[in-house]
Order: sequence, then structure tokens, then C-alpha cells
Amino acid sequence: MSTLNYSRTKQAARWFDIRQRKVGMWAYALNRITGIGLVVYLYLHLGVLSMLMRGQSAWDAFVALARSPLYLVLDVILLAGILIHGLNGLRLAFTGLGFSVGAQKALFIILMVIGAIILLVAGLKIFAV
Amino acid sequence: MSTLKVSLEIFRYKKGQPAHYDPFTVEIPDNAHVIDVIDTVWAKHDPSLTFRRACHHSSCGSCALRINGVEKLPCITRLTDVWNGIKPIRIEPLRNFPVVSDLVVEVGDFFERMSAAGMTITCEAEGFLPLTVDTFAVADVLPRAVELPDNLALFNRFEQCIECGICMSACPTMATDSKFIGPAGLAAIYQARHKTDDPARVKHLLGLADGEHGVWRCHSAFECTEACPQAVDPASKIMALRRELTLRRLRKMFGLRI
Amino acid sequence: MSVNTFDQESRPTVAWLWQVVTGVGLVVLLGLHMIANHFIAKGGLRDYAAVVAYLRNPIILVLEILFLVCVTTHALLGVRAIFLDFGVSDRIERMLTQVLKWIGVLTVVYGLVIMWFVIR
Repeated sequence: MSTLNYSRTKQAARWFDIRQRKVGMWAYALNRITGIGLVVYLYLHLGVLSMLMRGQSAWDAFVALARSPLYLVLDVILLAGILIHGLNGLRLAFTGLGFSVGAQKALFIILMVIGAIILLVAGLKIFAV
Repeated sequence: MSTLKVSLEIFRYKKGQPAHYDPFTVEIPDNAHVIDVIDTVWAKHDPSLTFRRACHHSSCGSCALRINGVEKLPCITRLTDVWNGIKPIRIEPLRNFPVVSDLVVEVGDFFERMSAAGMTITCEAEGFLPLTVDTFAVADVLPRAVELPDNLALFNRFEQCIECGICMSACPTMATDSKFIGPAGLAAIYQARHKTDDPARVKHLLGLADGEHGVWRCHSAFECTEACPQAVDPASKIMALRRELTLRRLRKMFGLRI
Repeated sequence: MSVNTFDQESRPTVAWLWQVVTGVGLVVLLGLHMIANHFIAKGGLRDYAAVVAYLRNPIILVLEILFLVCVTTHALLGVRAIFLDFGVSDRIERMLTQVLKWIGVLTVVYGLVIMWFVIR
């Protein structure tokens, strides 16, 4: 029997297709995207830290660069990723053990609102520096 | 009751040909369900259209497919709920199942998962008669528990699940892990686990749930519970299994102190 | 369908538990790391001298090492989960887990080397 099967790549792209999907699916897609982003960032950050081994002038030059507006914008994006992943992660730990599964949508909305507030405050501090 | 002129785009696939969508325009009474529309396409327009249907009242689970991208049972989906008079209704087979032909998908693997938990089906509501009084508001007719024979448990599983496969289609992990037991399979394992006291059977069922294609492949999208037409709530059952597995593991680690 | 008899080591449950433990740990440790390095530090970033002073504090050093271990573990367990979602065989799963474990060890060692270099 010759059946139609979609490729794994096409199927994997479905992880991020949230059309007609509900809140739980948005949370899942966001968690995965931010997770992948944060792993990439982790290794970039660790790479950058190697400049510490090149001595004071190398590191201080980098610090000066990291104060530029582009970097500050990237920092805000990074912080958004951290907040989404971290706060949603707490929700996943909680519901994943069977607590308040029925409240999963409300939990997501509340946590993202909290995250948005923290991001706003942090963003103001970052750009005020 | 009036007649509507409804346009549809139906997914077509036949062996050896590329998949595509065929447009149809159908005249149908406005009190029809979507399965009636599909029936009419087959009867009056294209007898080569293949699809599954049987009971027409959401108890067999055969007709499950996607309507405008969302998993539904067309036998209980009113046409007027999905037809806005303008955009053609898109009818597609379930996701995450190989497509055999048009709207018919290969369900063998799916049923293997269900039988791994090992049961046959009877709907939970059938423990009570009459099934509902809401629509038929007859003053002195009230639901009463039916006296069932003692050995009925040997033959029936009282369950909401009609094994329609909608949850499997909605689940993002099913998309990429073809070995994932899936929401339906895990909900069945949960049911089976709670119907037995036999320690060997419990160990077997928990072992299935705890494998690399079991509960831990679930990432809490909760789409299964959203999409389920029968209120099985597979997500809660998966989470309950996870709690049991975690507590057992912690008890083992700390020597029964928890 | 491969069956994991429940009495065995139950690696899937343990992996998830560690993901949760490190995740919760990170909420605290990452929070502290961000605040200490970007909100307490003058100008939001530590220059070389400030980094040295920061890491020479033994409590900070312990917390940063703990943070490094936590974040590496959590990140690589997450990567492992993404791969496992593709339905790999038991053999590949074991290989993958080993590879990621070694990447984790190397990552932590690398971080420790930098820290040692800075504080000596």
C-alpha cells in the first residue's frame, strides 16, 4: 500500500505552526524557540568570555562595544527570551506533575503578563544606563 | 430550513499521483452536518472520493478529519458553524497518520497502541439511562444509574474515548516521533492502570508510560485535550501518570521516606 | 514498541526530574547572575578589574560554578529532548546521551578554566 507520508522536516515545521491552535500550543512553540535561542546564546556567551583570558585590554574593549545601542536591543530580546522560557518553564514543571492542569491557559497568560512587566522595567533600566 | 450553496476544497491523494485539493460546490439543506456535505460530494459529484463514516453520532470515531485546519468529527459539526458563505471549507485528513487515499488514513499503528493498554470500548455515559434530559425536558424523567451485571467489567471498558485519532493529529510530538504512544494511547494506559490491582500488570503499564516514547515525550501543548470531542482530557491523564512515575522514582531514591 | 520495565533505572523519569530541578535552580541562579552582573554592576557591565574582584569572592565563585553546571545541564537536557522528539532508536538515544554528557563536561571544564585564569 503506497501511503502519503510527509517528511520529518515538514512535520517538525509543524511544531511552530500555531494557526488555529490554542494557548497551550503557543506556549510549547515559544518554549522551544526560546530554548533553542538560549542554547545558541549560551555558547556565544561562553565564547565571548574567552576574551577574559586575553587580558584586561581585550575584555575592556569588548565591554565598550557591549554598551552600544545594538547590543542593548539584543540584550532586551535576550531578556524576553529568558523570561518567556523561565516563567513558562515553571508552569510546565507545575502542570507536568499534574497540578492545576485545568488552569494551564490562565497560568500562561498570567505568567506572560508578569514577564512583560519585568521586561518593561528592565528595559527602562537598560536604556537609562 | 433552506438550501445552501456551499463551496469546499477537499484534499485528494491517490497512489502514484501528487496530493492536491479539488474544489466542489454542493447544494445542501442548512441543517446538514459536514459529513452530509461530504456524502453529497461523493454521491452527486465524485464517486472516487474516499472517506470513512459510520454511526453519524460521534460514537464510532470513524469520520475524524480536519475542517478548516482544525480536527473535528464532521458528523457532529454543523455546516453552519464552519461555513461563512464566502471562503471554501477546507477538508483534509488527520495529521500524523499516513494518508491511504483522500481523507482515509492508515490507523493500524494507532490501534496497536490502544490494544497495548488492552481493552474494548463502552462509552461511560452508557452506565446511566436516559443519556440526557436537557433536550427532551420531560418533567418526571431523570437519569438513573443502571444496575449492571457483576461480571460486566470482564467485557466492557467504561470510557469516553471513541478512538477517533483526533488527539493524535493535534499533538505536535506525534508529528515527529512515529513511536510516541500518543495522547490516546497514554490515556488508555492511565485508564487500564487504574482498573487493575495486579502488580505485574501495573508494572507493565507504567513501564510503557515511562519509556522514551511515553509520557516524557509530551511537552504540554495540551492540544489533545482541546481537540478531543469526547472530554477524555488526555493531557490530565498524561500528567497524572507523570506524577505517579515521579513519586515512585523519588520514593525509590529516598527509600520510601516520601 | 519497546517496553521499559518500570523497576529498571527509569532514565526518562530521572532526565525530566533533573530538567525540572535545574530549571527551578536556574530561576534563582540566573536571576542572581543577571542582577549581580547587569543591575548591581556599575554601568550594567563589569570591566576586567570588576570581574576579577567579583570572582575572587568565594561565595560568588561557588554560585557561579553552580550556575554554570545548572545551565549546561538544563540546556543539554533540552537539546536531548528535542532530538528524542524525532523518535530515535534506543541505540541512538544512548549514543546521543553520551555525546551530550561529554559536551556538558567539556563546557563546564572550559568555564572553570576561564574562572581560574581570571582569579589567579
